Amino acid sequence: MTTTHDFTSLYDARALEYALAVVFLALFVVLWRALEAPPREAVAVRRAGWFSLPEGVRLHPGHAWARLEADGLVSVGLDDFGHKLIGPLRDVQLPVPGTALGQGRPAFRLAADGASLPVLAPVSGVVAQVNELGRRAPGRLHADPYGTGWLLKLRPHRGLQANLKQLLSGELARLHMERAAERLAASLTPELGALAADGGAPVHGFARELDPDGWERLARQFLLTDDVKDGGES
Amino acid sequence: MSDTLALRPALRPWLREKLLLGRGLRDYLRGFANPADLFTLLVLAVGLPILVARFAFGLGAVTNLSQQTPWGLWIGFDMLCGIALAAGGFSLAAAVHLFGLRAYEPVVKPAILTGFLGYLFAVFGLLADLGQPWRVWYPIAVSFGTTSVMFEVGWCVFLYTLVLFLEFSPALFDWLGLRRWGRALARLTVFLTVAGVMLSTLHQSSLGALFLLAPERLHPLWYSEFLPVFFFVSAIAAGLSMVILESSLAERLFRDRLGRAPHDLDQLVLGLGRGAAVVLFAYFFLRLQGLARGGRFDLLSGTWGGWYLLELVGFVLVPCLLFVAGVRADDASRVRFAAALTVVGVVLGRLNVSIIAFDWAAPVRYVPSWMEVAVSVTLVTLAVQCYRFVVNRMEILGRTA
Repeated sequence: MTTTHDFTSLYDARALEYALAVVFLALFVVLWRALEAPPREAVAVRRAGWFSLPEGVRLHPGHAWARLEADGLVSVGLDDFGHKLIGPLRDVQLPVPGTALGQGRPAFRLAADGASLPVLAPVSGVVAQVNELGRRAPGRLHADPYGTGWLLKLRPHRGLQANLKQLLSGELARLHMERAAERLAASLTPELGALAADGGAPVHGFARELDPDGWERLARQFLLTDDVKDGGES
Repeated sequence: MSDTLALRPALRPWLREKLLLGRGLRDYLRGFANPADLFTLLVLAVGLPILVARFAFGLGAVTNLSQQTPWGLWIGFDMLCGIALAAGGFSLAAAVHLFGLRAYEPVVKPAILTGFLGYLFAVFGLLADLGQPWRVWYPIAVSFGTTSVMFEVGWCVFLYTLVLFLEFSPALFDWLGLRRWGRALARLTVFLTVAGVMLSTLHQSSLGALFLLAPERLHPLWYSEFLPVFFFVSAIAAGLSMVILESSLAERLFRDRLGRAPHDLDQLVLGLGRGAAVVLFAYFFLRLQGLARGGRFDLLSGTWGGWYLLELVGFVLVPCLLFVAGVRADDASRVRFAAALTVVGVVLGRLNVSIIAFDWAAPVRYVPSWMEVAVSVTLVTLAVQCYRFVVNRMEILGRTA
């Protein structure tokens, strides 16, 4: 009498389970990579004192930035200093596409902690696109102020070159940012002075931390919009 | 006597300050004159008399339970879903206090409060369901059924409810003006968190293990020797999703109770969504493993198979992919939608195991009576009102120290 053992059929169920485990591990790598690396517009970031400032970005003294894109449009946003000054944004009021903006005139408004702060346009032009992230998740803009945190894309006027000459770039821009930080440290000690001496960095929303009651006025001074009336764009 | 009289003038302003938020009774009650609160009153007006009737006239008077089906909606929904959805408390406490993810600190207190209320009202649901509710403490002190899964569940739920109360109590003591007690308890945070993780691991899985005892009564597609693992892993996904939904709703509804500098909730939501995606992904493959171990792929083609696939694909795989898409697009709204789908999916999964696919071949199927549904809705409503009461008075949503 002979007995036959069919070992392969005995392990059918197990084979499926092992295969599932292998597929799981392989797909888990894909999932992990997908979650770890959200697509972002790559921007080479350099630092100016406490604040980031990438190459190719021009600054308006009111802390808006402008960058000439390959498609001829000009991207506009709020610089890192501005974001850290104001802190978490509750809302962003952007002009609708087609609106004409003038350099140095109010371009958009940022709402944070009950205050509505106007920001000046760095260049003149007609609004071509607005960043939906600004409406959908304003609190996310600060994470990448010069990349995914752009706010407007403008179709510039003919006088773009003259406009750009009014803006700060390269070493001057860096100097402007550092000066702003120094001005802050000098005028608003002891809090920030102590912090600077410790080698720390300003917290997100430092205007509020420094002056809880008058922070809106302070923020407007840095944004150069302390004479802009609420409701109307002066 | 004279002491009582002396206390009275001091007690009244204290009660007014603490309970009525410093307003007069009439003014306070006037605040409830809005559609949402009137609806709440309507739910309570229907549900509370049914609860009274259940205790006065017995289970048979208000439920469709029978000797064949002793567990119904109050176990399947109030207990199993309540406990699963309350798992955010131990998940978040472990993330912050054990793994050092301090960024999530602003959502720990609300998660622990939700967890505590979830357990408390699950126990209330259990009291309604027990034939002799006055004996609920027997497994704790009188009758030790050490070989029973139910004994382990009873002890763990009892201990963990206590742990959640202690984790929540610093806010309570602060509110009562007993700050020293609150500080003393806050020092136990790490110990309580470790205890919470251990107890939750035990009883979240044991609730699944209860159904291992009835292999022939549960549909083969849902029955699996991995049921304890399914229950534990899905509870973590449900807990994280509940924290996403609850913190987002709280931010809208209790804006005045938030700290002076609100934290960036969207960023926390995206981080929690990232965690939930990983957990759901593992849960999906674990369920596939269960299916492979059972070897009943032939059952996937019928009506039950369709229902099973709807749960597994529609409410596990789809929310997992939505979480991934939301995180990649930096879109907190999509993550919130995925969290809502996950919560529905976990509730559906628990109901499938405990009611829908349980006794699936029985000639007479259990369908809950409208009064059972009304009691469950009443308990959820009461839990929401308790959350509101606490959040409006204690430092739960405000900036943590």
